[in-house]
Amino acid sequence: MPASAISRIELNNVSQSFTLHKKQVQLFSQLNLSIVQGQSYAITGPSGSGKSSLLMLMSGLEQPTEGQTSYMQDGRILPLNHLRAEIGFIFQQFHLLPELTALHNVALPLKLRGQKQAEQQATAWLEKVGLGHRLHHKPKQLSGGEQQRAAIARALVFEPRFIFADEPTGNLDTQSAAEIAELLFSCCQQKGAGLVMVTHSEQLAARAQHVFSFSHGNAALVEKGRPEVQCV
Amino acid sequence: MFSQNLTLAWHFYRQQRQHRHQHLLRWVQTILMVFIVALSQTSAGIQAYLSQNLNNLLGADLVLSQLQALTESQHTELAAMSQQIVLTRSLTTTLTHNGTWQQATLKAVAADYPLHGELRSSTSLTGSETLSSAGPAAGEIWLDSRLLTSLSLRIGDPLAIANQKLTVTRVLQHEPDRLMEGHNVNMRALMHSLDFERFNFAADSVQHRYLIAANQAQIKQIIAWQQAHLPAAQLQHKQGAHPLALFWQRTENFIGLASVILFFMAAIAIQQLTQLQMRKEQFFSAVCLSLGTSKSTTVQVSVIKWLLGLLFLLPAVLLISALCHWALIQWLTPTFAGLSWQWNFRLAAQTVLATAAMFCVFQLSVWAGLYRASVAQLIHNTQRKLSHGLSLACAVLVLLAVAVAYSDNGLLTAMLLTAMAITIVFMLASSWLLLSIGEKLTSNISGLLPFALYMMRQRLLSKTTQILGIGLSAFLLLFSLMLLKDLGGSMQAYQRQHDGNLLVSQASSAQMADIASWATQHNVAIRQHKPFIYAKLTRVNGRHLADFSQKPSDSLATFNQPVRLHWNDDVPDNNRIIAGQWWQHGDSNWQQVAVEQEVMTDLGLKLGDRLSLFIAGHSIDLVIVASHAYKPGAGSITFWLQMPATALKHIAAPHYAMASLELANAQFALLGELWQVHPSLRMVSLQEMTQRFDTTLAMVTQVISGFSALIIMLAAIVIVSSVHAQEAREKQKNSIILSFGFSRATCLKLTAIEWLATAAIAATGAIMGTWLAGLLIYQSQFSLPYHPDFIWLLTTLAIILLLVTALGVVAAKHSLAGSVRQLMAE
Repeated sequence: MPASAISRIELNNVSQSFTLHKKQVQLFSQLNLSIVQGQSYAITGPSGSGKSSLLMLMSGLEQPTEGQTSYMQDGRILPLNHLRAEIGFIFQQFHLLPELTALHNVALPLKLRGQKQAEQQATAWLEKVGLGHRLHHKPKQLSGGEQQRAAIARALVFEPRFIFADEPTGNLDTQSAAEIAELLFSCCQQKGAGLVMVTHSEQLAARAQHVFSFSHGNAALVEKGRPEVQCV
Repeated sequence: MFSQNLTLAWHFYRQQRQHRHQHLLRWVQTILMVFIVALSQTSAGIQAYLSQNLNNLLGADLVLSQLQALTESQHTELAAMSQQIVLTRSLTTTLTHNGTWQQATLKAVAADYPLHGELRSSTSLTGSETLSSAGPAAGEIWLDSRLLTSLSLRIGDPLAIANQKLTVTRVLQHEPDRLMEGHNVNMRALMHSLDFERFNFAADSVQHRYLIAANQAQIKQIIAWQQAHLPAAQLQHKQGAHPLALFWQRTENFIGLASVILFFMAAIAIQQLTQLQMRKEQFFSAVCLSLGTSKSTTVQVSVIKWLLGLLFLLPAVLLISALCHWALIQWLTPTFAGLSWQWNFRLAAQTVLATAAMFCVFQLSVWAGLYRASVAQLIHNTQRKLSHGLSLACAVLVLLAVAVAYSDNGLLTAMLLTAMAITIVFMLASSWLLLSIGEKLTSNISGLLPFALYMMRQRLLSKTTQILGIGLSAFLLLFSLMLLKDLGGSMQAYQRQHDGNLLVSQASSAQMADIASWATQHNVAIRQHKPFIYAKLTRVNGRHLADFSQKPSDSLATFNQPVRLHWNDDVPDNNRIIAGQWWQHGDSNWQQVAVEQEVMTDLGLKLGDRLSLFIAGHSIDLVIVASHAYKPGAGSITFWLQMPATALKHIAAPHYAMASLELANAQFALLGELWQVHPSLRMVSLQEMTQRFDTTLAMVTQVISGFSALIIMLAAIVIVSSVHAQEAREKQKNSIILSFGFSRATCLKLTAIEWLATAAIAATGAIMGTWLAGLLIYQSQFSLPYHPDFIWLLTTLAIILLLVTALGVVAAKHSLAGSVRQLMAE
């Protein structure tokens, strides 16, 4: 892939805060980050430190209190909301629709995009994640690990440029967590998608190319193995 | 322990009070309870009124009435079977005074009147009533207050009738035998028999009523005697049907149906809300159980909480019910004169308890669900299917209980249930077919519509529940509106277009001749003129009319009186033949009759049936050879029964005529001349008819408006409840769609498409159900011909589509507020 075709998410001097019981709570401030398509990122830190908020900002679903966010695509700088059609999400609770089979859950984003071969593509993806034999099972008939495989297939089936995952292995046992992590990384790598994960798992975070860790209370973000990226 | 549970339940109740599903539930419960309590109070009041009227105001143990006087031998036979006989004679006439005129019923009594009960009168309009032991003396006349006012008369004024002067001496307040004349509101005048005889009214225009005092054995004897010797006479007695029974039975049929419909709609709404409530209660119980509480305690808390909810609802329910009951009584007073507001505490308690018991059955599924579940099951929500099935079973149980206990017309309820069952099957089948075919056909097309159909097809079960709820309430709403509209419409049809503004409903040959000369003199056009004789239908195919047709209808009620029999050689211009063949000109077979189509249907007559008609003291048999219907555009005077002109050679009876005239406004004042000469001449002006009609139509319109408002309110609650029941799932779906990179506008469009599809299937089912219910119920229960107006139905379809979609989208605003962050937070 030529370097100019690689998409990038830029956060410049971004701050996020909210008001609770008439008191201003600062999550983070003056943050500078760059997320590149094809790379993997892990965000770690204690609960309530602002990991999920950062994920929402990166995906363009929320606006920062201060600072600029942008999306670079094909050499052009675009507002971050242009990223919307290029992202997929994976959740800790899987969030498969309970009344749909695994196949129909995975076919959902393709159907919504009006793709005619939705079910064939969904089948191929389910086979890729090892659920070829569970196509017509409903979520309740699948184990936690299987549900997350289906969720990964659903997030990647429409080939987004970025995958945002919120605690993707948080609900799984060690064995399943390792398998899911393997699958997630390999699939993203194979499709050239950027992967941004929020996780408490050190093992999972260790597999990412970049690890951002909230430390010093809730105010700072550190890229591990590198000098501190930003500090208030 | 109990006080702890009570405290917990109170706490839980207060917490949940502001939840939306609790608001909706309270609305449904309040509407239903107010409706039932107010209705039962009013109904009980009317029943008590009717029964009291019957016992105290009958004026006799038995009343025999007919146009002719009894012959001497008949009178002797009757006297031998009874304790006392009192004769009253009456005639409807028009009284005039100083240029004003008013139609009224003149009643003549002798010194032996009243037989039973109280005759009350007063010396001025506002004066207090006093009991009179006898009616007016010779030369006096008593007028009721409305007639007195209408003719601008005062006590002491002379009143000329047929050029004879009587003095108005008292205001007539109450005659004890009025009830026997049904719910007629004619103005009244009471005079002495001697004066009445001086007028020399034609004997056959005077109604002779014999008030008879008799014991039970004598009553039976007299009934048998009347059937054998005076089959055309009317007989009413204390043990017999009430004169208002037919009217009230029809009203009760309607109210019964309305109640069942309201119950069904409330059941649908409660059933939808129960699903949601079950989830919330299960969650609460899971928390309690995980903290070491026993199952029985959680159920107890839930029961107490439910009771608290009901208890706090009661003050408002009773207050609103009392107000509604008062308003209903005010509204019904013109029909049931003297009906007063009375609150029956025992009945109110019974009604509230019965309704609470039904609500309790709905709630059973929730409690059963809580009791049978374990902590693990509750947390994983795996018990829902069982409880869901149970809640459906409870709903069906309540509906059956209501259908059996509340509706006193089993056939009507069975018909409605059949129509509902077929509608349900139709909606299930059409949901499956349309969504499956729709999904297949659009699978190769891109866009939101195929996706919406695909999603609906995948969520067929939950969607079908929603479609059924909305479809059934739309069906019930549509059917009620259609029935009310057609009831109103059928009344409007009575007001046919007149080609004349004065209708002569009965004129003897001499009267008609005078009318003709009067018309020529004043340059008034006679638009129509049709002759008839009076005939009383006594038997059909040899069976007594009462045995032949027991179904209440307007036709049957009218046939209790003599009806007009017209003759002709050709089909009248304003009639068309529906079935059979009209007789030929000069046909030698004179024993033929054509019967109006609605009458045929009402009485269950068919071609070839033999009608025995009592005409001028003789029984004559005519065979039905044709049925006809009114055809507008060629005059308004039409007859139910018509026979060949050749029949006249074989029937000796006084001839009368109906006619219509066109008068200029100023010429109405000249009618006094005719009435002075012919007080028994029956003429009615269009203004007067319109006024009577308007009063009745206003009553029907009020029923329509009130009932529609209730139904619409419940239908809206059903829609909001069904949205609310699915809200969590919809929210999740929308959040997931957002996580695929789509905008909220996409979710909104998808919601609108889904609601449009839901509304389309539900509305089609509703229209099908309405058509079916109309087919089953109209003729059988309301004696209305069923001619579905498809333009009206299609317009309604469009309105339902629009409203349901709009309401669905508006109600779904909470589910559209989902976000990816919420998915992360779960």
